[in-house]
Amino acid sequence: MRALPGLMGPRAPLLPLLLLCLLAAARPSLADGHPSASPFTTPPVREETMAKYSNLSLESHNISLTEHSNMPVEKNITLERPSNIKLICQFTTSGDLNSVNVTWRKDDEILETNYLNATGSILYTQYMFTIVNSKQMGSYSCVFGEKKEQRGTFNFKVPELHGKNKPLINYVGDSVVLKCKCQDCFPLNWTWYSSNGSVQVPVDVQMNDKYVINGKNANETRLKIMQLSEEDRGSYWCHAIFQLGESEEHIELVVLSYLVPLKAFLAIAAEVVLLVAIILLCEMYTQKKKEHSDDGKEFEQIEQLKLDDSNGIENNAPRHRKNEAVGQ
Amino acid sequence: MAHKAEPPDGGWGWMVVLSAFFQSALVFGVLRSFGVFFVEFVAAFEEQAARVSWIASIGIAVQQFGSPVGSALSTKFGPRPVVMAGGILAALGMLLASFATSLTHLYLSIGLLSGSGWALTFTPTLACLSRYFSRRRSLATGLALTGVGLSSFAFAPLFQWLLSYYAWRGALLLVSALSLHLVACGALLRPLSLAEDPAVGGPGTQLTSLLHHGPFLRYTVALTLINTGYFIPYVHLVAHLQDLDWDPLPAAFLLSVVAISDLVGRVASGWLGDAVPGPVARLLMLWTTLTGVILALFPVALAPTALVALAVAYGFTSGALTPVAFSVLPELVGTGKIYCGLGLVQMVESIGGLLGAPLSGYLRDVTGNYTASFVVSGAFLLAGSGVLITLPHFFCFSAPTSKPQDLVTETLGTKVPLPSEGLGEE
Repeated sequence: MRALPGLMGPRAPLLPLLLLCLLAAARPSLADGHPSASPFTTPPVREETMAKYSNLSLESHNISLTEHSNMPVEKNITLERPSNIKLICQFTTSGDLNSVNVTWRKDDEILETNYLNATGSILYTQYMFTIVNSKQMGSYSCVFGEKKEQRGTFNFKVPELHGKNKPLINYVGDSVVLKCKCQDCFPLNWTWYSSNGSVQVPVDVQMNDKYVINGKNANETRLKIMQLSEEDRGSYWCHAIFQLGESEEHIELVVLSYLVPLKAFLAIAAEVVLLVAIILLCEMYTQKKKEHSDDGKEFEQIEQLKLDDSNGIENNAPRHRKNEAVGQ
Repeated sequence: MAHKAEPPDGGWGWMVVLSAFFQSALVFGVLRSFGVFFVEFVAAFEEQAARVSWIASIGIAVQQFGSPVGSALSTKFGPRPVVMAGGILAALGMLLASFATSLTHLYLSIGLLSGSGWALTFTPTLACLSRYFSRRRSLATGLALTGVGLSSFAFAPLFQWLLSYYAWRGALLLVSALSLHLVACGALLRPLSLAEDPAVGGPGTQLTSLLHHGPFLRYTVALTLINTGYFIPYVHLVAHLQDLDWDPLPAAFLLSVVAISDLVGRVASGWLGDAVPGPVARLLMLWTTLTGVILALFPVALAPTALVALAVAYGFTSGALTPVAFSVLPELVGTGKIYCGLGLVQMVESIGGLLGAPLSGYLRDVTGNYTASFVVSGAFLLAGSGVLITLPHFFCFSAPTSKPQDLVTETLGTKVPLPSEGLGEE
């Protein structure tokens, strides 16, 4: 027991008295959190806070570690609104439980209080607190041992926005709707930013003929940009504002002018006109060749007839004379 | 231009095959890949998916019901000017759609305008193809129709890339430029005058004579029945796989395999249709019966290997029946009336297509799984193949395909002795 810091040390004489008072005061809040009787007691520092935030929900999270774990164990927790948190770490070791050094840390800063219990060969430690603002979000770790550390980390984050990664492509003069949606969460507020170089600049909502922000439900927001021009292209961010922080999503907007596909269209149309011209010209050419060859054939035929005719005339003459000779 | 006695079966015909390949890619490939745009439209216009999908439905309906108009015009003016005008209309529809500010604009521009453009292109091109080929008709049609499958592979990623780079307005503008290539394809369709053209007369005469032609009407009924069952598995295969607890990735992979076997089936059936003597209608009946049987077996197959085998077989047989379905028509009505004939067939069979998918969905809602809808679609296909048996010359094993001169005499109703060949079969 000497190894455990905290209340067991210098404040030992006051402990029994304090414990009795606290047990009496804390019993209601323990009852609504845990039906089974917990061996732990609530610390004196948080008595008022527990009473103030007793209407908040209680979230309980667990990590198990052994002395042979090679990698640190992490648990990611998504938190949207203020809650009471109870973190429990259990450590299994074959050695002496009393000699294990236990600390709780937030982002490498050692936290004051911790409570633990040893049952058999398992060491339980618990840390209870309340998260009400964004400063209290972050990573909370329970660390076992000094030389060879076994660490379990709870990471608290606000809900993330998941969106499509494809850029939105639109043309000059169109209007476009940028959408941001949060899956199972309900932010308090949404804000939109556009990019000016590398700086995020809020979107000027006063220009009603250019920007309109509305959203059908609490978990989505839409930014409608009308009369797109080339200057509107670039990055846009939507921020979801929670009580415990902000998360953002990035949307890329590309604005093209009509000339871009139009040039491709005209090029292909010109190619089609060329193809048609080639096909029709080829056909006219082959037809002319056929006509010339037909003319050539007719010419040969006429020549042949002429030769036959002249042969006939030559032959007729002697026959004619023969007939005349016979007739006399 | 001198009238040719017979279809050339090659030569410039292969350029027509190329043109038909690109046209089926640009019409049906665009339609099938349009689903990529739907997500963007839903977000941009803040409408429900059901209302946005009406765009494609209107486009398909206008394309199919407008087929007779395209056919009649191409009988009068030849396929080339009609297809080029159709290409300009289709591109104009997409161009106007890129400026749309509401969903109604899209219904009118893509649905009505582009749809009528597509109506003026697809049917005249296939009919022109049938006029250019007689011995290798099925192979040529099969090769041309592979354009649909290949373009579905290529256009879906292309449209995604266009959307990510230009957003939907710019992407529609570029799809319009893509559709302009229909005009170039139309320029390839050199007019061909066949011997029977003067005998069959103008579009009005042709339409009336077709409506009194018994075999043609029976064939139309058969195709309508086939069409009712044909599209159902494409729409419901994925959902059926999900009902059987397949993961999305193997299911998508199976669909790709089905698409590949569909392509192979088209080309193989095209080659087979020309190689096997006799009326092509018998091959159509074979493929249709096989497809119907496979569909009816689908609910029974529960093991993954059996399902994969059935799906591949379905892809092959359903792909196989498409080129043969187009080749039967010229044998029935002759290459002179092919434009009007094809237009009428497309218009009537579209009723089957429009009824098939909602019927199947209704059956699924009522019974809770896809067993009934698969069996019913198989039954429709078997009924269609049954009607095919009633076509003329079905059971003649020695009869070759009808020659154009014989069909001219049949149409005119007189026996004119032709110098070149005797009238072999009557």
